[in-house]
Amino acid sequence: MRITGGKVYDPAHGLNGVVKDIFIKDGQVVDLPVDGRTIDARGMIIFPGGVDVHTHVAGGAVNFARAMTPEDHRRTTAFIRSQTTRSGIGGMTPTTFATGYLYAGMGWTTVNEAAVAPLSAKHTHDELRDIPIVDKSCCVLLANNEILLDLLQDGEYEQAQHLVAWYVWAAKAYGVKAVNPGGVAAWKWGKDTGQMTEPVVGYSKLTPAKIVSGLAQIIDKLGLPHPMHLHCNNLGAPGNLATTLETMRSLEGHRAHMAHLQYHAYGGNDWNSMRSEAPALAEYFNTHPNFTADAGAVLFGDTVTITADGPWQHLLYKLTGRKWGNIDVENETGCGIVPYTYRPNNLVNAVQWAVGLELLLLIDDPWRIYLTTDHPNGACFWRYPEIIKLLMCSDFRKECLSQLSTKALKRIHLAEINREYTLYEIAIIMSAGPARALGLPQKGQLGTGADADLVIYNEDDDVQQMFGHPRYVIKGGEVVIDEGEIRATPPGRGLLVKPSYDETIETFLRPKFEDYYTISFDNYPVEMERVEQPTFNNCIETP
Amino acid sequence: MGGKVTCTLGEVKNRADFIVYWGGNPAECHPRHFTKYALIPKGKFVPRGRKDRTMVLVDIRETKSARASDIFLQIKPGKDFEVLTILRALVKDQPVDRSQISETGLTIEQLQDMVERMKRAKFGVFFFGMGLSMTRGKHMNSAAILTLAAELNAYTKFVAMPMRGHGNVTGADVVMRWQTGYPFGINFSRGYPRFNPGEFTTIDLLVRGDADAALILGADPGATMPQPCIDHLARIPTIVLDPKVTHTSRLAKIHITTAVTGISAPGTAYRMDEVPLPLRPALQTSYPTDEQIIRRIYNAVASKPDWMIHNGKMTSAQI
Repeated sequence: MRITGGKVYDPAHGLNGVVKDIFIKDGQVVDLPVDGRTIDARGMIIFPGGVDVHTHVAGGAVNFARAMTPEDHRRTTAFIRSQTTRSGIGGMTPTTFATGYLYAGMGWTTVNEAAVAPLSAKHTHDELRDIPIVDKSCCVLLANNEILLDLLQDGEYEQAQHLVAWYVWAAKAYGVKAVNPGGVAAWKWGKDTGQMTEPVVGYSKLTPAKIVSGLAQIIDKLGLPHPMHLHCNNLGAPGNLATTLETMRSLEGHRAHMAHLQYHAYGGNDWNSMRSEAPALAEYFNTHPNFTADAGAVLFGDTVTITADGPWQHLLYKLTGRKWGNIDVENETGCGIVPYTYRPNNLVNAVQWAVGLELLLLIDDPWRIYLTTDHPNGACFWRYPEIIKLLMCSDFRKECLSQLSTKALKRIHLAEINREYTLYEIAIIMSAGPARALGLPQKGQLGTGADADLVIYNEDDDVQQMFGHPRYVIKGGEVVIDEGEIRATPPGRGLLVKPSYDETIETFLRPKFEDYYTISFDNYPVEMERVEQPTFNNCIETP
Repeated sequence: MGGKVTCTLGEVKNRADFIVYWGGNPAECHPRHFTKYALIPKGKFVPRGRKDRTMVLVDIRETKSARASDIFLQIKPGKDFEVLTILRALVKDQPVDRSQISETGLTIEQLQDMVERMKRAKFGVFFFGMGLSMTRGKHMNSAAILTLAAELNAYTKFVAMPMRGHGNVTGADVVMRWQTGYPFGINFSRGYPRFNPGEFTTIDLLVRGDADAALILGADPGATMPQPCIDHLARIPTIVLDPKVTHTSRLAKIHITTAVTGISAPGTAYRMDEVPLPLRPALQTSYPTDEQIIRRIYNAVASKPDWMIHNGKMTSAQI
């Protein structure tokens, strides 16, 4: 296939709207002209396919949320069965097939499911297999794993490292996620963590700070291509900037990916005095290149919040009085689900909306901050084009600011920011940057040897329209979307990594299973057959 | 209120010191539940096993499970919702009318004692069975017990879990949810999933005579459903996939004998707490698996041209 005459935005190669032909053979970008179909892309814009570094699209928690929100399924977009597509439901928690169609329909071709409990990883992989078109990786939840916490408390870091590697491989994961380190373990007794340096409930010495730095160190030593994926303590709480900065300081010298940073950048003492601390957080972040982050931006409207952060969800249930789902997972983690509506006339929601955009605008290196909404927590992923418009048009931002109360405007900084993203920068935050953070060299770029995942837009001044309705989407060299029509639904790949560990860790773990779990050791690991088109990435050398 | 506050069974094994079975008879219906998960096992935070746990049974009759309980609360039939609502009120120190209490078959002392024990528990759990969820009040009863569990979290840790059974019913529920958004009662006639319990659920479809063919997989409705359903299944072309002869296979037009999943066919089953378990066959068989048969039927149907009825005639159609 050849794509001729399009304006190519390929930030990994410094191409900023350069007219260039692209040649594709056997699913990869190649140097030399090839035969086959020619797409005339004159007047069009070409991006590498989008990469979502943090989303919740498959597994026990999302599926629990689906069960809890039939009222949303009924009012939302239905996907009718056709010769190329299976039926499904869109909305706040789209069904698996619809998830693939919606992501691809928007030009996203790789997604990272950010929270997998290893105990139910078989379920997650079975769902991922039913998400067509896009390539998929997932992160495994470990920061509240009691076996691991015991090792960290005892200072057994080497053993802990083997354990982490074993879990990553057993769950057929790609990275490690830490959610409210120690806090979810405390929630097993209905408690949360307080300070970073206070022992976790049920432990004598172990603190959240030690879990965070211990895990970061282990992940760097293992050389996982994606750094520790961290959901900090005190998510969503007024004044949590202090916790976030304390966490980041404890990570100096290590890599970390800060998930949904928006939820961790608040000042104030309570809900009434809550304010944006995005400038302070961005200032620290800008001078510490060991971090990457995704925005976790909020858009006004209905959604459902899904997180492993059980204690936070209990609070949200008490605040809203809406439905509350909770699953505590033996030995490992938990999850909570609460439907939520972000309203512009609500002070807290207005601050959250502004903080997400402020971080995206105040963090000066687009290679380190990525476009996400922590789907579906801040907003659904299919609303990304709205965020792109907010980033690219300061006039539109000002228009939106006029919906907010004067009280809210005093708590935020968005009105003072005039920066407008360029197309080149959008290509970085939606594709090139997250691909680099995930350590996926074949993604997020269009150089020779790259996976031929790309999206072609009709150039349009209305960027929301342009990014919401690509002219073509090409996945693995195949046209999957053509003018809004789904042309093909090839299966996506499962992206995996196999960190090395000492096999004797199994001798240590096997007897523990009797005590900590209710399923047998041999039934625990995810079988390779559950992963569709497994594709391995290598571990890296870290400084 | 809606939702569900729950956990995996290992949490119960390792932490639960207060266990309530409501409207179920696990001693006879889930015989391994006591020993593997809920009552007997020694756990990380309940090191003495049974001695560290208190078990309450709430039911309308004294079943075998009552013998395993520390406290048996026999309530009047059909009064589950009332008992649960009174407990919710007492938990929040709200006044309750004596006449309402006397309707339930319990005394105020019994109910107050229950409330104090629930609040005092370190980790409490409700396991509720079809005696609650399928009797007068139905889903309202389930909602009431789930709400009580959620509200108790203002005082201590409390969770609730339905005692599901019938093979891999949880697995069917889980897969339907990820593919369609709904757990059961799904109608595809418009080309996309629609959900309406009472309208699209199996019993309702069969009682109304709406279904003109039935494919039965992993179930024996001929043994459990109301007579009008059974009569309708006997009237229409019913196809049964089952390893053995069942009530349904006897009334079916076609019975295809299949391999037994978990014994001679592989697969995945979901436990009642939605933990997936791989099934590895111990024996070989010459019978085909359910999946093989469904795929063959699917392929045979898919190879036929699409059709629709137009002016009373079958014509080819484009989907």
